Amino acid sequence: MTATTTTHGPADSVVIRTRRSLMRGLVHYRETIAVLVALVLTLVFAVTTNGVFLNHANMVSVTHVTAVLAIIAIGQSLVICAGEIDISVGSIFAMGAMTFLALAPEFGVFAAVGTALLVGFMIGAFNGYLVAYLGIPSLIITLSSLFIFRGIAYMLVQDGALRIPLAERLAMDGYLAFGSGTFFGFNNSVLWMLAFMVVLHLVMFTMPFGNRLLAVGGDAKSATSRGVRVRRVKLTAFIVVGLCAAFAGILEANKVGYADGTTGRLMELEAIAACVVGGCALAGGRMSIIGTIAGAFILASIQSYLVITGTTPQLYLVVMATFVICAALLDARVRQWALRLR
Amino acid sequence: MDNNKTPLIEVRNLNLSFGSFHALKNIDLKLYGGELIGLVGDNGAGKTTLINVMSGVYAPTSGEVCFAGRKVEKFHPKQAIEFGIETIQQSVGLCDNLSIARNFFLGREPVKRILGIPFLDFKAMRKASNDVVHTFGLRDNVSVDDEVATLSGGERQSVKIGRAVAFKNRVIIMDEPTNHLSVREREHVNELAQQLKEQGLLVIYITHDVYQVHRLADRVVIMENGAKVADVRKDEMSADDLEQIIRDGGRNCTDAA
Amino acid sequence: MDTAKLHWEKVIKRPDFGAILIATVLFLGFATLDYDGFFNAFTMRNVLHFSAILGLVALGQTLVLIVKEVDLSVGSVYGIGGISYILFEPQLGVIGAATAVLMGAALIGLINAALILRGKLSAVIVTLCGLFFYRGAIYLMTGAGVPRFATEARQHWFNQLLGGQAMGIPNSVWIFLLVALIFHLLLTRSAFGNQLYAVGGDAPSALSRGVRNDLIKTWAFVACSVLAAFAGILTIADRPQTYVSMGYQFELEAIAAAIVGGCSLRGGRGTVLGAILGALIIVSVRYQLVGMGAPSSWFITFVGVLLISVVVFNRLLGVWIYGKQPAAE
Repeated sequence: MTATTTTHGPADSVVIRTRRSLMRGLVHYRETIAVLVALVLTLVFAVTTNGVFLNHANMVSVTHVTAVLAIIAIGQSLVICAGEIDISVGSIFAMGAMTFLALAPEFGVFAAVGTALLVGFMIGAFNGYLVAYLGIPSLIITLSSLFIFRGIAYMLVQDGALRIPLAERLAMDGYLAFGSGTFFGFNNSVLWMLAFMVVLHLVMFTMPFGNRLLAVGGDAKSATSRGVRVRRVKLTAFIVVGLCAAFAGILEANKVGYADGTTGRLMELEAIAACVVGGCALAGGRMSIIGTIAGAFILASIQSYLVITGTTPQLYLVVMATFVICAALLDARVRQWALRLR
Repeated sequence: MDNNKTPLIEVRNLNLSFGSFHALKNIDLKLYGGELIGLVGDNGAGKTTLINVMSGVYAPTSGEVCFAGRKVEKFHPKQAIEFGIETIQQSVGLCDNLSIARNFFLGREPVKRILGIPFLDFKAMRKASNDVVHTFGLRDNVSVDDEVATLSGGERQSVKIGRAVAFKNRVIIMDEPTNHLSVREREHVNELAQQLKEQGLLVIYITHDVYQVHRLADRVVIMENGAKVADVRKDEMSADDLEQIIRDGGRNCTDAA
Repeated sequence: MDTAKLHWEKVIKRPDFGAILIATVLFLGFATLDYDGFFNAFTMRNVLHFSAILGLVALGQTLVLIVKEVDLSVGSVYGIGGISYILFEPQLGVIGAATAVLMGAALIGLINAALILRGKLSAVIVTLCGLFFYRGAIYLMTGAGVPRFATEARQHWFNQLLGGQAMGIPNSVWIFLLVALIFHLLLTRSAFGNQLYAVGGDAPSALSRGVRNDLIKTWAFVACSVLAAFAGILTIADRPQTYVSMGYQFELEAIAAAIVGGCSLRGGRGTVLGAILGALIIVSVRYQLVGMGAPSSWFITFVGVLLISVVVFNRLLGVWIYGKQPAAE
């Protein structure tokens, strides 16, 4: 039965009505596809690796990778929702990690975290100001910041690396709170991710700011005509992604106690990929925080699966690229089809 | 008009340039509450630019705008909205990706504070928008949770007008409000404009249909090439005279004050 | 007087005005501050050679930017072009390998265009995935090895032609100038060029005048990929061995060169001269920094600062020329 006959059918049967509400759900809840794919992939990976994929040790590592990537990607999803893009997050991530590692031994964990977040805030504000108030395309501005702060990251370590040995880290106050402590064996970065998820989900979907951010990405002119301060909203989105990326850098640095010039390279691309897989529309105005996390989980799972099955890890890039393109194509098709069914 | 009353909107010696393009030239205008003003002119005459200044989208290059006698210092749509100016435009005003309820309150969302954190008051948003939208002729099976993307042109216009009425504004600017509407919907909108005026609001009705506006408006302002070329009460002039002025581009017009 | 003024206005309004200005100031600066050797033969040779390479990629990027798209995959395509040129040579011979590489690149451009235009996906996503995909493919093709040409292949007349020099200037520069001239004529003197600008400047209007927007855009993507792969071939002909990281972040340099040269992400703007100057500016700064003994990391920071300064400058220049912007967006 085709879509047209269902719309014009005289009395919709229960089956058709259920199907239609399912389709509405697909359009309205953008995370549905990503969450389903994540579940199916988990199942497939678990079966094909005889359960190794799902064992505790592997899940600990997958969830940690997911958490760090997801925190950046959540911030990215806000910027994408505003119809912009931030490709400097990998460099902000590195700056956050380095600031933390450089300051923690001398000034303590909390001061280091605060300063690293301040760095993220400043970079985000710098990007956001140029994009929102001068009206320069975000791709160019954040491309420049990617360069600038990557270069500064290299300068900071003078082509070497920053590291804090584990024993020294363990001796610090509050060290366990930021990505080194565990609960049930899982790294507590997962808890941080959940906290970011809950807070930003509530902000985006149940608070005035979220309503305005969605409006700015959907139709900036209409938003302006309703008195929404478009520039301020965009600036805020960039600041949020700066904070998120710097915080993810802190978590990672705390876990491994090490950062060099290459820390966070390609992170910007993975974060965007996670958003796209998670159902954020690059055109803006449509996004999902939960979907973005599912997207990050999918990417982390693929990476882990390739390692478990002993495939050459370089295949990850190829598989991820193919996967993202397919996800984007499928997403557009499914949504068009669902819209026709209404 | 009664000149002792303070005008709701007063524009003095207003100029606006975009680079070398002089979009508005020395506009003077006094608009009072309870009036239905027809703002007419050819395409590119500056009608929309003028209302964009009034609704804070553009800041003038020189000259001033006063709302109820108070000079506007900073031009931003927020100020205009706070004063109670609501603009209904053809293509702008509703975000396709948001639901009707979310669009209805965009920019001034009602909140319920839980621990001091402002959460959207969905119940109030749904109820208020649902009541208004359905009295303005939306189909019953349209839910206020539906995205605006699914609405027709007439339905969108109804939502915008309903919103303008619901917020108890002092000034309603309608920019070509009947363009994409069916004949019945058009009558409906025009009745609404009349009704709003009778409630004491200032209604600015923009169109290039002189006959329609002559039937509807108390006073007609004609613009041409960014300048005001005529400002007449309806009973001073027939629709044909108005049309003639527009055709002449204001050349024969004596009444420019 | 009047004609002189008019002339100036024309120059200032050129999209590549910023690049002309920077290039002039930069070279005057280098000439006065010359520590010892920016203008020596060896440095100049390298600067010109690498400007030609980057210029080819930036030229392709310019075409794509003119039609209001962007291609982030050129760095990987450049890399895979160069590496495949070496890897294909044993089976196909030098000429065969070059042909195969260029055809492969054309195919990559077609795939990009098809996904963007037919699949209705954003160019950022498609070419970002291209960047990943071809970089991953390079890893898979080479393992961790360092592919290099055999001596015979190096002596082959084709590599001698591409990698040699004439009149003291590397042949890559001559070839680049020839390609640039062709594209300059194509952009300024042909119907195709006119349509290219129209599609980027105002797609619906172009469509309404019967321009086949998708076809024009497809050509831009194909040309971009082919030019990037060709730049890879030129690089290998000059230095016949390479690493898996060939072309890493080269897309960013290419975009930077194109933007510095006056392209806008909003489409419809960009010139061949701008791409040449943009590439020249970026490469000479790299060599100047190296000459000054600055760590290599300074270079990318500088590219970033340059890029931001140029867009902000162009923006403010635009505001200054075309008047005040609306109060709120």
